[in-house]
Amino acid sequence: MDLSLNVNGRPEQFSAAPNELLVERLRDGLGLTGTKVGCDTGQCGSCVVRLDGRSVKSCLILTVSAAGSEVATIEGVTTPGGELSGLQEALRQEHGTQCGFCTPGMVMALGELVENTAADPEPPTEPEIREWLTGNLCRCTGYHSVVRGVQRACSAARAQETAEPATAAASGQEGSGR
Amino acid sequence: MTTVTGETPLQGNGPLGQPLDSREDPQLLRGEATYVGDINLPGTAHMAILGSLVAHAKILSIETKAAEQLPGVLKVATAADFTDVMPLPCIWIPGGVESHFPPHPYGLPGARPVLTGDAVRHVGDPIAVVVAETPRQAAAALAAISVEYEPLPVVTRADEALAEGAPQLHEAVPGNLNAYWTCGDKDRTDAAIAAAEVTVDLDLVNQRTINSPIEPRGAVGDYNAVTGEYTLYASTQGPHNHRFLLSALVLGIPFNKLRVIAPTVGGSFGTKGYLYPDMALVLLLSKALGRPVKWVDTRTGLMNSTVQGRDHRQHVTLAGTRDGRITAVRATSYANLGAYPSTIGPGVATALMGRSISGMYDIDAAFCEVYAAFTNTVSLGAQRGSGRAEAAFLMERLVDRYASEIGMDPAAVRRKNLVPKEKFPYDNGLGWTYDSGDYQLNFDRAIELSGYADMPARKTEARARGKRLGVGIASYVAICGVGPSTRMSQEGMLGGTWESANIRVHPTGEVTVTVGSASTGQSHGTVFAQVAADELGIDPAQVQVHEGDTQSAPYGQGTYGSRSYSMAAPAVALTARKIKSKLIRAGAVFLGVPEDKVVYEGGKVHEEGNEENAKTFAELAMAMWYGWGLPPEIEPALDETTHFDPPDFNYPFGTHVAVVEIDELTGETEVVAYTAVDDAGNIGNPKVVLGQIEGSIVHGLGQALMEAAEYDENGLLISRDLGHYALPRAIDAPFFSLDKTTTPSPHNPLGAKGAGEIATVPPAAAVVNAVVDALSDLGVQHIDMPVTPEKVWRRLRGESQ
Ligand code: FES
Ligand code: FES
Repeated sequence: MDLSLNVNGRPEQFSAAPNELLVERLRDGLGLTGTKVGCDTGQCGSCVVRLDGRSVKSCLILTVSAAGSEVATIEGVTTPGGELSGLQEALRQEHGTQCGFCTPGMVMALGELVENTAADPEPPTEPEIREWLTGNLCRCTGYHSVVRGVQRACSAARAQETAEPATAAASGQEGSGR
Repeated sequence: MTTVTGETPLQGNGPLGQPLDSREDPQLLRGEATYVGDINLPGTAHMAILGSLVAHAKILSIETKAAEQLPGVLKVATAADFTDVMPLPCIWIPGGVESHFPPHPYGLPGARPVLTGDAVRHVGDPIAVVVAETPRQAAAALAAISVEYEPLPVVTRADEALAEGAPQLHEAVPGNLNAYWTCGDKDRTDAAIAAAEVTVDLDLVNQRTINSPIEPRGAVGDYNAVTGEYTLYASTQGPHNHRFLLSALVLGIPFNKLRVIAPTVGGSFGTKGYLYPDMALVLLLSKALGRPVKWVDTRTGLMNSTVQGRDHRQHVTLAGTRDGRITAVRATSYANLGAYPSTIGPGVATALMGRSISGMYDIDAAFCEVYAAFTNTVSLGAQRGSGRAEAAFLMERLVDRYASEIGMDPAAVRRKNLVPKEKFPYDNGLGWTYDSGDYQLNFDRAIELSGYADMPARKTEARARGKRLGVGIASYVAICGVGPSTRMSQEGMLGGTWESANIRVHPTGEVTVTVGSASTGQSHGTVFAQVAADELGIDPAQVQVHEGDTQSAPYGQGTYGSRSYSMAAPAVALTARKIKSKLIRAGAVFLGVPEDKVVYEGGKVHEEGNEENAKTFAELAMAMWYGWGLPPEIEPALDETTHFDPPDFNYPFGTHVAVVEIDELTGETEVVAYTAVDDAGNIGNPKVVLGQIEGSIVHGLGQALMEAAEYDENGLLISRDLGHYALPRAIDAPFFSLDKTTTPSPHNPLGAKGAGEIATVPPAAAVVNAVVDALSDLGVQHIDMPVTPEKVWRRLRGESQ
């Protein structure tokens, strides 16, 4: 089946089998190996990407059903070797990654949270962050450093929002594709 | 919020001991690190493994023709194709016991063939492999292979496997007993128990768990027909060890013709140090097909093939006086080794567990016996905290049971029995000699930090909200720093367990450190750079660390048992000292003063009392690289290696306190507060260690509350994926109160003790102690893990276990 996707801002055209999973297209078809596969069952969240802005598990989505959508993967968050996004920087400061295998999925999922709450008067609470994280498994960190990283990222995003609301809102911030 | 109240124990004014940011993190956060699954060599073919669907059966026939004809299929192979390949060996059969297993051709205890041909012994036992152009084609072809089985009876519990008339797994192992192993003094212990004022008994199940690194295992084999060399990329925590085992003991090829590369590894927790059939298969098939062959496991595949952990059924006894003095401990354990002895599983189930059972206590008589049996389950191996977690669970449950029997506060009983500071080094009577410790200080700090004294008030307050609050303490000693090679040989371990490090100083003053150990997420690149920079008095940014490639790295056994910082880092420090001493000798030449007048400090050499007559590290590096003017006894260049084999193990320890609340209506247990005070000696990077401690505690909570590998009566693994095997999620743990005490180990130049996994050792005991405390007025004396809401709910309604 011939279809097209917009991946990290780049149009991609290809032909895909009807049973092909989006994660297979990304990793094997497009060589975007930053997205990881940790389970067969949609449980671990290592494969989370953003589909039209929403974080989704790309092992649970058929490529055909994503046709025509905007897909953002970890590769689109920064340029190769480039400056970290606000969320990535906050996670770095809190050492919110160890083996790093769950990390791309975490960054994609948490990016949505940080972004969507940046304009709220109050940052997400610790239980809200933990709740948001339930779709992502991490066996190394015990999540605490990740939660601290998100708290830090939310404060930074908020500070930026107050400082320059117009630019922050326009730039798309955390985790969104470029 | 996690509070870390202790002072950061700086070891000096240099970078060591500082919470430097992990230099590995940026590329991990950008998704740019390369794991095995991300390696795509040109021309790669893809392998899939057919695992048995039944737990125990004779194989009558295997039909592969249909599979061979499918599109994209390049090869289908069974055991008949690999008759000249030796079985995977088991290299840790506990010392002094007979293994009762068909020997490996090299006289080692044999373990399992790369593919099974005669019979299958657990679900997932590999029977055949397919190589195809794409992973999908390979997986599809598996379905076209038909295997005719003659079913055999199944046994999945160690105690049942040893019973009269139990199904037999291996002809050569009558009665399924792999090893009967003991430690301690049986007669003395029996006598002390017989004479005791008080004795308490418990029957414990330390359930089977699955480590579940988020990255499943994978391997890529690449044979070079021109040089005859094999390259294996694998998710391994011990590339050198895998090279040794695979080349000499399985493939029968020279050591120097196999190169093993560990790329970024997505967690391991013990499981990726084992030798698995797939590692040999990708190499053999790459040679057969003349193409790189890649295999990446699925989650269900991992659940059915990667070593599982714990799995003891125990009868344990503690004896003591009415006033709280413990006089003896005795344990009989039935350990479930699974269907085949894994690389080091039998040693984990015996020595690592048994010699640790007396924990932090000064006990006069102790004895442990282990019956290690084969069953129709996945092979047993290490899990984060392995052996030591099982030991801590049994001892700490016993101490609480004893405290309740004599009506004494569990903290007071523990306090009374701690090994006193003056008794170090302390022989625990079970085979370990604890190196150093101040157990009282550690214990008191944990009790105080947890707010233990306020618990009665908190219980009353919780009761008013319909919650039962319970508090549980668990202390532990974890043997780490495996190990002294000679000592390990006495334990039955094959191979040198030392670690090495090489330091090369480049003409520009930059430094490359190469170590034999290999990280699975522990920020080695950051921490080893800190060690070298600290010794050399230079900026850590000047130091680059390499590991994980047997072609470039000096030998080391790898990362396991929390040994990298106390084994590989000392090798780095000692190597840096060799560099320094060479620079002092050369400095004498360059500065024109006698050697005993040369001082090395702050990254330069200078004449004693004259800081003007000096050369910086960078100047020295360049001068040594030129080598001009050096006397014949000083070789040019700076390139040194150290092989570090410590005189003995090291023994980190600590005390954890869990506070749980149980919902009266639902039986749900929530960990509402958790305090941990661990002592890992001198710490290289507190930020990195903090992460490991937090992750370890959550892992331990997982065993207590939700994790269990469950087999049904047919030997099918019910918990075959993450929908059926519960791992802790972000909502399952509160932030922790953490602190540390610092007792340096005398057994390495850094005073380091193992740190990475030690905090996994006590949480299960602390949580179960807390749950039993919360339910004690109902007469509950023990509850088996995992403490599910259903189990608790039944207890709340007066049902027995
Ligand atoms: S790989 Fe998609 S959720 Fe685990
Ligand atoms: S960092 Fe290893 S699984 Fe999350």
